Amino acid sequence: MLHQQLVEALGAEAVKTAPEDLSVYAFDAYSSGTLPSAVVLPETTRDVARIVRIARACEEPLIARGAGTGLCGGAIPARGGVVVSFARMHRVLDLDLSRRRAHVQPGLVNLDLSKAVSMHGLFYAPDPASQKTSTIGGNIATNAGGPHCLSYGTTVNHVCALEVVDASGEVFRTDVDDAGYDLTGVLVGSEGTLGIVTSAWVRLTRLPESVRVWLAAFGDIDSASAAVSAIIAAGIVPTALEMMDRVIVTAVEAAFCAGYPTDAGAVLLIEHAGYEDDMNTLEAAVAQIAREHGALSWRAARSASERDALWAGRKGAAGATGRISPNYYTQDVCVPRSALPAALRAVGDAAARHHLTVGNVFHAGDGNLHPLLMYDRRDPKQVAAVIETGNEILQTAVDLGGTVSGEHGIGYEKREAMTRVYSTDDLATMARVREVFDPARMLNPEKIFPSGVRCPELR
Amino acid sequence: MSGRQRIVPTSVEELASVLATHHRDRRPLAVEGGNTLRGMLPPDHESDTLVTTALAGVLAFAPDDLAVAAQAGISLRALGATLAQRGQFIPFDAPQRADATLGGTLAAGWNGPRRHRYGRPRDFVMGTTIVLADGTVAAAGGMVPKNVSGYDMSKLYVGSCGTLGVLVRANLKTLPLAQRSRAFIAPLPEYTRERAIARLRESPVEPAAALWIEGFHKEIEGTDGPEGRLFLLIEGSDSFVERASRDVRTEMGKAGVPETYVVDGAVTERFERVIDALAATIGERSVTYRVSGDPAAIGTRASRMLDVAARCEMRGEAIGDVMNGDVYVRCTDADTRSFAAKAPMLDDAMHDDEPAARIVACDHPVRAKLNVWGQPPGTLDLMRRVKAHFDPAGILNPHRYVGAI
Ligand SMILES: Cc1cc2nc3c(=O)[nH]c(=O)nc-3n(C[C@H](O)[C@H](O)[C@H](O)COP(=O)(O)OP(=O)(O)OC[C@H]3O[C@@H](n4cnc5c(N)ncnc54)[C@H](O)[C@@H]3O)c2cc1C
Repeated sequence: MLHQQLVEALGAEAVKTAPEDLSVYAFDAYSSGTLPSAVVLPETTRDVARIVRIARACEEPLIARGAGTGLCGGAIPARGGVVVSFARMHRVLDLDLSRRRAHVQPGLVNLDLSKAVSMHGLFYAPDPASQKTSTIGGNIATNAGGPHCLSYGTTVNHVCALEVVDASGEVFRTDVDDAGYDLTGVLVGSEGTLGIVTSAWVRLTRLPESVRVWLAAFGDIDSASAAVSAIIAAGIVPTALEMMDRVIVTAVEAAFCAGYPTDAGAVLLIEHAGYEDDMNTLEAAVAQIAREHGALSWRAARSASERDALWAGRKGAAGATGRISPNYYTQDVCVPRSALPAALRAVGDAAARHHLTVGNVFHAGDGNLHPLLMYDRRDPKQVAAVIETGNEILQTAVDLGGTVSGEHGIGYEKREAMTRVYSTDDLATMARVREVFDPARMLNPEKIFPSGVRCPELR
Repeated sequence: MSGRQRIVPTSVEELASVLATHHRDRRPLAVEGGNTLRGMLPPDHESDTLVTTALAGVLAFAPDDLAVAAQAGISLRALGATLAQRGQFIPFDAPQRADATLGGTLAAGWNGPRRHRYGRPRDFVMGTTIVLADGTVAAAGGMVPKNVSGYDMSKLYVGSCGTLGVLVRANLKTLPLAQRSRAFIAPLPEYTRERAIARLRESPVEPAAALWIEGFHKEIEGTDGPEGRLFLLIEGSDSFVERASRDVRTEMGKAGVPETYVVDGAVTERFERVIDALAATIGERSVTYRVSGDPAAIGTRASRMLDVAARCEMRGEAIGDVMNGDVYVRCTDADTRSFAAKAPMLDDAMHDDEPAARIVACDHPVRAKLNVWGQPPGTLDLMRRVKAHFDPAGILNPHRYVGAI
C-alpha cells in the first residue's frame, strides 16, 4: 500500500524499501533505532508534501533526514515510519548578493554553501565540525553551532526565512521580518518535530579582512580552562576559542601532524577575524592572559596554510579519536564560562571513577564541553560505564548552572535528561507548541519530550 | 473586581494569581511595561491593566560570563547602567530607554539599527520566565550562551506583544562596550544619496549604524542637503575608529559628498536621540510607518512613501537604515482634527504602496481604526492556533495584535 502509493507519486527510483537499503537509515552517527517502512528521496517541495499526505493516510510517522551525522538519535526512526532523505535536494536555488542571502535546499552540505559564495567575498558562518558532510536542513533542525559561533552566533542567527511542509502536507513560509509570532525562531532547533524544512533563506557573512590564528599550550587542563575564563572575563570575545586536551592532541598528531605540541596537557586554538587594525593589540592581550595562566608556549600561524593546518587538527579530532579507540561517545553539555575549570575537573573525575579514557575537544569560549568517552562496544561493562559517566557529566553541567545540550540536541537519547533542567510546567508549555503544529505526533515521534509529558487540558 | 483597574504586582506569585483569576473569570487584561509603545492597537475599555514596572530587579549579573538576568519591568536605562559599571552593554537600540522596560522591548520585538553588527535583541536572550494566561509560571532556556534543549520558547515570546503570557524574567548575553565611538553627520548634495548608500554598504569598514535622514530636525542634529543627511556611528578600538574615520571620509568623497562632520562628544546620547526619533510622535497629529526590505532600495522606497504623504497633503519625513533595510516615514498634519480626518485615507494609500507597512508610532486615538500591523503574513492561521493554545480564554491584550489576535 504505502510502497505502491509512494512509487506512483515519486517514481520507483525515489523509493527504497528493500531491507538492505533501509538498514543504514536506522542509524545516525551514534544511535540505532528501528527499521523504517520506507525511505523516500524527494526532489521538490511538492514531492515532500505528497510524501507527507501518503504517509499520513497510511498512519506512518515521518522522519526528516539530512546527512545522518546527528549524535543524539534525532534522525533515527523510533517506531518505524517513512524517512524523508534530502540527499537529492542539495542545490543553491538563488543568491541575493544585495541582501547577502542565499536560498538553499535542505540537503545542501554546509561547507558547499561557503564554497559556492566565496567568490563573492561571502561565507556561511555557522560551521559545525561536521560541516563537510552535515546539511543545512540538519543544521537548522538542531540549531547547530561550531567553533566560529562564539562571535558569529549559532544557526538560528543566520536563518532569515523558511519554507516548511507541515504535518498535514501543506506548505507554509515564515520570515523573521514577518509581523506576528517568530515562527522561524521556534522552528530552528525543533529537530524535525514541528515541520519539514524544504528550503531556507540564510544570511551570508562578509569574509573578514584579516584572520589570525594562535596556539597556546598549557601544562594541564586546569590552567588552560582558567585562561579561557579569564579571556572572556576580560571582555575579549575572539572569533573562536577551542580547547583540546592531551589525549586528543596525541591522537591528532598521530593522525595528521597538525603541529600541536604533544607534551602539553592542553592546547587552546584561538582565532580572531576582523579588522587588521585591531589584531596586534588583541594578540598581545590574549597572549598576556595565556602567559599569566602559565602557558608553556605561544605560536602564531604565519600563513594561510599554517592556519589551515592548525584548524585541520581540530576539525579532524573526532576522526583521529576513532583511530585510537574502537568506539567513543560524544557528550555535549554547556556550562557558564567561569565554571569551566570545575566542569572539566568533574569530567576527569567521573571518567576516572569508571575507568574510562576521556578526551576533551570543545568550544571552550562558549563553555560548550564535548568529552569523548572511549570504549569498546563489545564489552557490556564498558558500555554501562559510558552511560553512567555520561549521566554524571550531564548532572555536573546542570549543577554548575548549565544545560544538557549545547548544540547536538535532545533527539532520542537525551529525552529523559530534559527533566533535569525543566519542570513539568516548563515541558508542558513546550508541548503546547507541539500540539499546535503536530497534534497527532506524526513528525519525528518519541523525540525531545520525556515520556509522559503532555500538553495541558485547555480550558 | 470591577473593570479598568491598574494592577501593579510586586511579586511573580502575585502576578500569576492576577492572571489566574482573570483567566478563570475570562476578564481581559492589557499588559503594560513603560507604556512607550505607540504601535500596537490600543486596549479596549473593558480591560484591566497589568503593569510590570514593580518587578524591576537585576537578579544575577555575572560579568565574567558576559551574562545578566533581570526582571521584565526594569528600564533599559537602569539595566544599561548596571552593565556599564562593568564595561558591558546589550544593543537593544529601543526608543525612550529611560521608560522602556526590558520585558516590553522584548515583547514588542523591537529591532534597531545596530543589529547587522551585533544581532537582534532576540539573539541576546538565553532564557526567559513567562507567566502564561492561566497563571502557569514556565521557564525556558537557561543561563548559558548555547542551548539546544527542546524548543527555543523564548523566540516565541519575543515579539509576541504580551498575547501569549507576561514575561517576568530574561537571561541575557552581554557584550563588552566598545573602547570608543564616534558619530558623523553629512548633508547630502543632489544626486549623492544612492551613491552614498551603495558606498557605505560595500565599504570594507562597516559602520555600527548608518542612517539616511530627511527631516526630523527637531529630534536629530544636522541640516539636510538637497537629498537629506547621513548619521553614521563608528564603534571599536581607538585604532579602528581612526582608520574608519579616514575610510568613511574617503568613501563619502567618492560618492560626491563634500562635507562629513565629526562628532566626538556625547556620542551615545546623540545616537539615543536618533533612536528616539524612530518612534517619536508630534502631538496627536503624526503617524510613523515602518517597512523592512532590501537595504539597497531604501532610498527609492522612502521616496515612494514620502510621495504618499505628499499626496495626502501631510508633511513627510524619513529615516532609512542603510545597513538593515528599514525605512521609517513620519507623516504629520497641520492639526489634530484634520489628521483624524485624513489618517484613514493616508493609511489605505500607504498600504496600497507597501502592504507590509507597520505603524510604529501614532498618539491619536484614530490609531484604533488604522491598519497598524499591515497585511498579515500567510501563517496567520497558524499564529491563531498558537494564541488559542497559550491563551484559550483570550484574556491577554485581546484583539490588539496581528490579524486582531
Ligand atoms: C564528527 C562530528 C562532529 C560534529 N560537530 C558538531 C558541531 O561542531 N556542532 C554541532 O552543532 N553539531 C556537530 N555534530 C552533530 C551533527 O553534525 C549536527 O547535529 C548536524 O547539524 C546534523 O546535520 P545532518 O544533516 O547530519 O542531520 P541529521 O543527523 O540527518 O538529522 C538531525 C536532525 O535534524 C532533523 N532534520 C534533518 N533534516 C531536516 C529537515 N529538512 N527538516 C526538518 N528536520 C530535519 C532530523 O530529523 C534530526 O532530528 C557533529 C557530528 C559529528 C559526527
